[in-house]
Amino acid sequence: MQFKNRWSKILLIGLIAGISIGMSSMAIAADTIKIGSLNDMTGATSDVGKDYALGIAEAIHYINDTGGINGKKIKLYQFDYGYRIPEALTKYSLFKRMKCAAILGWGTGDTEALAPTVAKDKIPYVSASYSGHLCDTTKTPYNLFFAPDYSTQVRGLMTVWFEKKWKQNKDFGKRKPRIAACYMFASPFSSSSIKAYKDQAKVLGFDVGPDQDVSLFAIDTKSQVLALKEFKPDVVLHTNTVMSVAATLRDSYALKLGADNIIKCWGFDENLPKLAGKAADGALGCSPWAFFGLDVPLMKEVTKYAKKYNPGIPPEKRTIHTVQAWASVLGLAEALKRADKAGDLSGEGILKKGFETFKDVDIGLGIAPVTYTPTDHRPQSEAKVYEWTGDKFVLFGSADMKKKWPEKWEKEWLGW
Amino acid sequence: MRKKRLLLTILSVFLIVAFFTGCACMQSKPTEKNFKAPVVTLDNMEVVHSFGYWYFSKKVKPTKGSPDNVGAPLDLAFTFNVENPNKFPVMLENLKFSVAFEDFDLNTVSTDAAQFIPPGKTNQVRVHAHFDVRQSLLSLLVTGGFKLKEKGTNAWAALEKWWTGIPKYEIPIHVKGGAAVFQAGGVVKVAQFNATFP
Repeated sequence: MQFKNRWSKILLIGLIAGISIGMSSMAIAADTIKIGSLNDMTGATSDVGKDYALGIAEAIHYINDTGGINGKKIKLYQFDYGYRIPEALTKYSLFKRMKCAAILGWGTGDTEALAPTVAKDKIPYVSASYSGHLCDTTKTPYNLFFAPDYSTQVRGLMTVWFEKKWKQNKDFGKRKPRIAACYMFASPFSSSSIKAYKDQAKVLGFDVGPDQDVSLFAIDTKSQVLALKEFKPDVVLHTNTVMSVAATLRDSYALKLGADNIIKCWGFDENLPKLAGKAADGALGCSPWAFFGLDVPLMKEVTKYAKKYNPGIPPEKRTIHTVQAWASVLGLAEALKRADKAGDLSGEGILKKGFETFKDVDIGLGIAPVTYTPTDHRPQSEAKVYEWTGDKFVLFGSADMKKKWPEKWEKEWLGW
Repeated sequence: MRKKRLLLTILSVFLIVAFFTGCACMQSKPTEKNFKAPVVTLDNMEVVHSFGYWYFSKKVKPTKGSPDNVGAPLDLAFTFNVENPNKFPVMLENLKFSVAFEDFDLNTVSTDAAQFIPPGKTNQVRVHAHFDVRQSLLSLLVTGGFKLKEKGTNAWAALEKWWTGIPKYEIPIHVKGGAAVFQAGGVVKVAQFNATFP
């Protein structure tokens, strides 16, 4: 009996110690917010995806080093899915199982494939796909991003070119400006803003030339450029990614097409002048974020963390995609802080008490103020346009679509 | 008597805990100054699984299942030695690196499986990198077109060369831009590494 009694006391002590340890680990778990990140570091978009992925991890370190989410640390689960949709679905199931509060997604493929699922599961999904139809909250209520959508980018590029370039042209007022577009017809990403491009051409009074089918894999675009020469465009819109845009610029330069070039964000980064050389001079591109290293708020932190956590990658190899990733993380962190303050870190809480309370939020990095409402997830109405000139990117102008066309912005342009 | 035994038991537990805590405290405390970045070196690269070289477009009807654009997988495993030169244990939080076949970066892999490395000891970390012909083809086509042209080759020729040569260890594999994040007592250090195998 005495033996039994002694052992029951030891057991009791053990139990108390066990409960204490258990409670402390529960406290650690409660102080951590899990975030999933889907990245492409091996697949079709790995050239830009790798830099974005590095930026995500570095920005999370920054958030944790500067107080976390009101004292709670973020635990990042970052996976490569190689731009394969089935693998994106598998990784999403893992994130869900791990109870991630939100997901930092990547391209059009995974974002569109997962949009109905994240809406059903109520998990906020911050993507690097900026397709206009992700902004309609009746269809994709849990999709968010930190850039003007592709359609706003294209409308903004055309407007800035019209106001700052065409108005200087000797033919201004004598004839309509001529515009044509080069993009991969079969690519949902490349063609996602073409409807908006044609609509904006009507708004501004352009003559629209024949679309040119340029593959994302193209390194020779002479036949398309020769076809464009017959139309004699004043400006050409490019909505592909960098390599094929560089190929088109090179061939346009070699064949003396003589048109200006306006380029959507994914075709306009630090690699464009490296690949296109002189042909990139004067190119205009929509860049919602400042280029890596430019003097804007928070850029010092971006470069500092890049150097600290990836010292083996020289700064000249880092690109705007790092900055882009920081914008996604900083935006998500702000939403988490607001939701946490409201005491609701559920998916619905992060959306309603976090993101959808944003009104002209300045997250730094040269990006325009961000606003979300329960009915409109277009974060920004201002398209910032940079020019590659004198071997550097220079802010050329910007156009606020909501201010210029408030009625169309409100009633016509949401969701495409 | 029973009370005395209980008291002795509690005291013993307390002394054991105090002893171990004391031992831990006797180790030098990590600071920004005395924390040396551990040294990461590639020990070995193993071709874990190789399935030859092949590619089927989705126009080809498979014997079973649905057609798709699919290519042969290639599974490589990289084993790194991680040496802790410090007088205190350090925790490896994350390790990542890019893998290049010849001049083409085709994969960036990482591991977040944390582990402690005792003072003055060397641990090993093994990281798998998965490749397949389809995924590498797209990566090459979207990004490597100009470079392949300059080299007088094309994506298909390069893939065939790699998928047949790597399993024989005939083609050097480069580990690039490696970074391992270590933590000790709240101080963070990052070690860089690069390597080529064989």
